[in-house]
Amino acid sequence: MPGWRALLLIAVLLAAAPFGLPLYAMTLLTEALILGLFAMSLDLMVGYTRLYSFGHAAAYGLGAYAAGNLLLHTGLPLVFAVLLAALFSGVVAIGVAWVCTLATGVSFSMLTLAFAQLLYAIAFKWTAVTGASDGLAGIPRSPGPFGITIFGSKTGFYYLVLALLIAAYLFCRALVNSPFGAVLRGIRENEPKTQALGFNTRRYKIAVVAIAYALGGLAGALYAPFAGFTNTELLFWLFSGQVLIMVIVGGAGTLVGPILGAAFFLLVQQYLSSYTDSWALFFGAIFIGFVLFAPQGIWGLARRALQPRSGNAV
Amino acid sequence: MGGVGTLHRGTRPCPPAFDPLRGPIPQAEGEESQHPIALMDFLGFLITQCLNALSQAALLFFLGVGLTLIFGIMRIVNFAHGAFFMLGAYVGYTAVHLTGSFWAALVFAPVAVGLVGAAFELGILRRLYRRDGSAFLMVTFGLTLILGEAIRLVWGVAALEVPSPQSLSGIVFILDEPFPVYRLFLAGAGVVVALAIWQFLERTRLGLLIRATSQNAEMVHALGTDVRLVRSAVFGIGCGLAGIGGVFAAPLVTASLGMAPNAVIDTFVIVIIGGMGSFPGSLIGALLVAFVQVFGTYYFPDLAMAFMYLIMLAVLVVRPGGLLGKEA
Repeated sequence: MPGWRALLLIAVLLAAAPFGLPLYAMTLLTEALILGLFAMSLDLMVGYTRLYSFGHAAAYGLGAYAAGNLLLHTGLPLVFAVLLAALFSGVVAIGVAWVCTLATGVSFSMLTLAFAQLLYAIAFKWTAVTGASDGLAGIPRSPGPFGITIFGSKTGFYYLVLALLIAAYLFCRALVNSPFGAVLRGIRENEPKTQALGFNTRRYKIAVVAIAYALGGLAGALYAPFAGFTNTELLFWLFSGQVLIMVIVGGAGTLVGPILGAAFFLLVQQYLSSYTDSWALFFGAIFIGFVLFAPQGIWGLARRALQPRSGNAV
Repeated sequence: MGGVGTLHRGTRPCPPAFDPLRGPIPQAEGEESQHPIALMDFLGFLITQCLNALSQAALLFFLGVGLTLIFGIMRIVNFAHGAFFMLGAYVGYTAVHLTGSFWAALVFAPVAVGLVGAAFELGILRRLYRRDGSAFLMVTFGLTLILGEAIRLVWGVAALEVPSPQSLSGIVFILDEPFPVYRLFLAGAGVVVALAIWQFLERTRLGLLIRATSQNAEMVHALGTDVRLVRSAVFGIGCGLAGIGGVFAAPLVTASLGMAPNAVIDTFVIVIIGGMGSFPGSLIGALLVAFVQVFGTYYFPDLAMAFMYLIMLAVLVVRPGGLLGKEA
């Protein structure tokens, strides 16, 4: 398996990051990892099953609002609230997926978009639960269980995010390498053929959407206590478009690529915007440049750079 | 009609059933005639709201028809469509100020926007037709960012007022209800443009090629037509139509940087409801969404936005390709 050593190195570097990086950079890195988890969850659908969701912000928003409400209104410890919110997002996704998988192709994308926008519309009006356009504010990082309080600190929270990201990555890696993952790839390459082999592909699609939503919900659930607030932007279609771009820029169908894509997206945005007000101009040009000159994405570029010899051998 | 009194906006009370000077009013004519003024009020309200919805539908149609044409020919979901709409409004603003004429802007801005669109097709999209849909998503998203930023650099962040032409700036009374002439004009313009596009698609050679290409591009190519030129033309025309929408919308909403994201999502909804790639579908979608928006906002202000997406979901569940689209 190529890249295992590189991945281990990245994980070690990330674990050591709090000892070397200033606090500002740690905040940025935490957000990058949360977005990375979000993008990786979408990769299960886009990269492995060819289900282009235009509404993945729904997963993030569901997780964020669920976690926000749990943390604000119950004394539930941070970790439990976050996991429960992820579960909530996954359960809602079963219903969403049941409807969306009635269609395929562009219609599937548009149905996911419709659901996300519907949630956006609801979040805008259901003041009691979502705080409407103000959003939820002052979301705490509740302590516990057993009196554990380290997740309340910036560094502790960073390690929580990192641990969950690594766990989610290992889970996804095992998933796509399992027989279940083989069926997903079958759907990606040729759905009618996979059906002809006797697989109920719709059930597999519903399952993968639910898993992707649960992990995307986990990312959103982490974002709520990270930022301390939620707002309706988290459900807006623009965010769905952005995460799809993170997946493609990073390299769809690689799991690691989308994480890098999300980090790239966030860091380049931060970097450019600190130098010029017109960062969007360069940002847009970078996307177009990627499509024209690096269709395999960041991870594809990195792999080619890491393995020049094996490339020559072929 | 007992409901009439409660439905109208309540500026005038219903007339009493008993006139103190002339005794009881005869009731032989049935319920409707009891409240003639209230009924007229309601009719006036109904007509003005319908016209309102029609003018809204015209704007949405300018956007939707361009998007659906582009999708029909190229299978591209053009995320930059809202940005072209916005560009139309800003170029229209400048054209109005340079020439002093709204009509000149109405000609100049769509042509300019269409040329930008065609240039983008020639420079970028043309290289990507063999790639999958995600490539188009990325480049049109990238273009959205670039156009938005370019507009901010050229025109600044402040919203820009575009005056409606002098001859259309007044108000007419429809059954005593005031109604802006400009919106009336907009509804009419929508009808004219829809008829013009229909005739263009049915009667001209380019229209024939467009219809043929959307059905079977390879066959058109094999018969000796350069499909690439058709694609460039369609992308330019589609963007130009969004530009027309931008100029028409500018006097109503002012030209601002927030136009693009809101416009593009409404446009998606229309085109999806009507069926991606279907010209009459975009018309039906625009009408449906406009009426839901106008009447929904009036009667159920909290649910209006949700209605639009619920309709979209319902349509897609029943007909995944949209009302008039092919099965996806």
